[in-house]
Amino acid sequence: MTTYTKKQVNDLVAGTLDWDSVHKMLSMPKDAGRYALYMEVLQDAVTYDDKILLAVGPHLNIVESATDGEIIVKCNCGHDFGDYRENWKLGANIYVRDTAEKMDQVYPRLMSPDTTWQVYREYSCPSCGTMLDIEAPTPWYPVMHDFQPDLKTFFEWVELPAPAKI
Amino acid sequence: MNDLTNPVEVLGIDAGGTMTDTFFVRRDGEFVVGKAQSDSDEANAVLESSKDALAHWGREIQDVYPEMVTCVFSGTAMLNRVVGRKGLRTGLIVSKGFEDFHRMGRALQCYLGYAFEDRLHLNTHRYDEPLVHIHDTRGVTERIDSKGVVVIPVRLHEARTAAEELIDQGVKAIAISLISSYLNGEHETAIRDVVLEVAKEKGVDLPVFASVDYYPVRKESHRTNTTILEAYAAEPSRKILGQLSDRMKAEGATFDLRVMATHGGTIGWKAKELARSLVSGPIGGVIGAKYLGEQLGYENIACSDIGGTSFDMALITQGNYSIHKDSDMARLVLSLPMVAMDTIGAGAGSFVRIDPYSLSIKLGPDSAGYRVGTCWPEGGLDTVSVTDCHIILGYLNPDNFLGGILDLDVPRAFQCVKDQIADPLGLTVEDAAAGVIELLDLSLRQHLRAMITSKGYSPRDFVCFSYGGGGPVHAYGYTKGLGFKETIVPAWAAGFSAFGCATADFEYRYDKSVDVGINDESSEEDIEVACLKLQSAWDELKVKVLEEFAINGFDESAVTLSPGYSMQYMGQLNDLEIESPVANISGKEDWPALVQAFDDTYARVYADAARSPELGFGITGAILRGSVETSKPNIPKEPMSGPTPPEAAVLGKRKFYDNRVWVEADLFHMESLLPGNNIVGPAVIESDATTFVVPTGFATNLDEHRLFHLVETG
Repeated sequence: MTTYTKKQVNDLVAGTLDWDSVHKMLSMPKDAGRYALYMEVLQDAVTYDDKILLAVGPHLNIVESATDGEIIVKCNCGHDFGDYRENWKLGANIYVRDTAEKMDQVYPRLMSPDTTWQVYREYSCPSCGTMLDIEAPTPWYPVMHDFQPDLKTFFEWVELPAPAKI
Repeated sequence: MNDLTNPVEVLGIDAGGTMTDTFFVRRDGEFVVGKAQSDSDEANAVLESSKDALAHWGREIQDVYPEMVTCVFSGTAMLNRVVGRKGLRTGLIVSKGFEDFHRMGRALQCYLGYAFEDRLHLNTHRYDEPLVHIHDTRGVTERIDSKGVVVIPVRLHEARTAAEELIDQGVKAIAISLISSYLNGEHETAIRDVVLEVAKEKGVDLPVFASVDYYPVRKESHRTNTTILEAYAAEPSRKILGQLSDRMKAEGATFDLRVMATHGGTIGWKAKELARSLVSGPIGGVIGAKYLGEQLGYENIACSDIGGTSFDMALITQGNYSIHKDSDMARLVLSLPMVAMDTIGAGAGSFVRIDPYSLSIKLGPDSAGYRVGTCWPEGGLDTVSVTDCHIILGYLNPDNFLGGILDLDVPRAFQCVKDQIADPLGLTVEDAAAGVIELLDLSLRQHLRAMITSKGYSPRDFVCFSYGGGGPVHAYGYTKGLGFKETIVPAWAAGFSAFGCATADFEYRYDKSVDVGINDESSEEDIEVACLKLQSAWDELKVKVLEEFAINGFDESAVTLSPGYSMQYMGQLNDLEIESPVANISGKEDWPALVQAFDDTYARVYADAARSPELGFGITGAILRGSVETSKPNIPKEPMSGPTPPEAAVLGKRKFYDNRVWVEADLFHMESLLPGNNIVGPAVIESDATTFVVPTGFATNLDEHRLFHLVETG
């Protein structure tokens, strides 16, 4: 079975791992130690002490709170978005590109959608301002809840003890 | 010392990434194989390898080169240049508005060359870097429509600016490929002339490649990729081959160096279309099998070539291989006609891993290559390879691996197989290793069977040729139970590709797309026009073929021209290549013969009842092949002797794991066996370059041509 070094996983997260290794990782069965390594790499990127359980975006993780053991969503800067079963976007700052002028700022004219059909909603962290996600729905569509992981089953899969408050 | 009654006549060279093999053949068919480490100076590696080979006969290069008549080169340098994107910086001129199509690439290029699972697995799909950077690409206003009519005349002042800018930016060659240029080349040739003029004004010596001069065929991506390769990959090879040719001449050579090409012929190293030699090694084997078949009377041959990294298969039916027109190589779609082959990424050096979830053995797709496996500590590998399993099971001799140039550590391999394969599966090391070999054999066998049956044939009608370094090791395993008429292993299996290259004709092939459709409603006049269209395409190709031969000093009288065409029933998707029954078409009276030849071929390839003349007939392409006589290696022929191997060939016994039990296998030295000798398994026949395994239930006999015939005895 193939195993990988922490550096390789680190490069993978940073997007600098060479394509041949990425391809091999994608094609080969997942190695048993990957989850632990991956979490270590994510943990190294943040300053808070809460234990990272799963990533929900490049700057956003589901963590087990170091103070009360609650499972919450946190930005890399430490901003708390609350319970992981709630949509974190509801607690984020939002900027909606819903006019041609606003679209012109990101794409050349006529190469962006007609805003009566589609808008961009940009969500950013209220504390650090990092853009955390963008969605591109029709203008009337409700805020999307991207996904809600079944953490209980997940910890059964990786054969590790689940946090108490799941 | 020169032996004039039995001179060395033929040299085949196979310059691989790690080893450069040379294959010298004497007039009587006797041959020697030489090996040398490949070198950045290819000429040097060839000379070193030649020395190594000729030492077997106690002869020197300076004596042998002057008496030789033929030399054919095949190598992987050009392919590696493309794969590693280390080619010549090339500029590209296209129709304005189409500047991005090269870097966008054809969708299938994002998964070409992948294992089947990865083709299905969308997130592994990926586009390689384009050969030409967008900054080195320019558009020129012009347009020719799908009928070849000029819709927008070419703006040559734009071509001039484009050429000036590209040359100033530092490109070393320029390729030109315009939309629909295969129907009407006038815009491309006009641009080409302007570019050449600009280069001359600037005082730079810059090769210019217009697609219409090289590959005037439909499909822009294929045509453009191929034209770019002519500059990007083939131009540097031209220089290297020139050096090699000069070095050989300095040693007294008088022969013309030729290169194996994808269409199955060889071309001169000065050929205009040198990109045709992009892939040549595996093709050499097919050509060699065809030649051997012609000499010995085998019409239907299943060719199987197993090396360290891949298993290549091809079919020869009624003495012919088929040609695949839109081939792909190095993950690029190309318009090079290529000998049709099926390849899978499993070989004698593939890595072996266990899927921790399903606890199943997974072979490849990557392989150990020159690093062999865990049995060679200096190789630095810690993942088990198929070779490790062979060593553990007594298939290969650890003390004579590759002629004994590597020191192998068998206990280390044993421990690695135990830790990585046997223990997780709860098996003994022997059974785990045997399981790996069985799995590989099974997978090869299934692919081989599928290749034959999917084309509507049965293995019963075929003789299987097994070659490549790993062919003799696995021949029994991947042919077992398939029911081939015979399985044949040449004693020179490891050098078979180089041998095959040496047997190839000196042949150029040019193609041109043609659009012709004739059905019940077509008038006599339509047929007349169609026939003349084909003839004029042949005339055009003839000029090119003769030009190529003229470069090598042959004039028209020495060249045999064989015209051909691709035809299909109208509305069907696949065409067939037909050798023309008429050498020249004078008009509509020749049409029935063209159609008849197609109908007959169709019935042979598919079935009588599948013929569909009511659909009408379409001609999709004109083909012209030109060849000249060359000297080819003779097949060895030795006097027969008795069935018992001579004393000198017997090397003793070795423990060999056979059908889940350890047995004592008889060991033989391959080169010392005599024609007529019969060997019953379990036996292992060793030579420096390969090992021939004959397990229990098999027997083999060596014939007068040094071919081993492997038979199942029950």
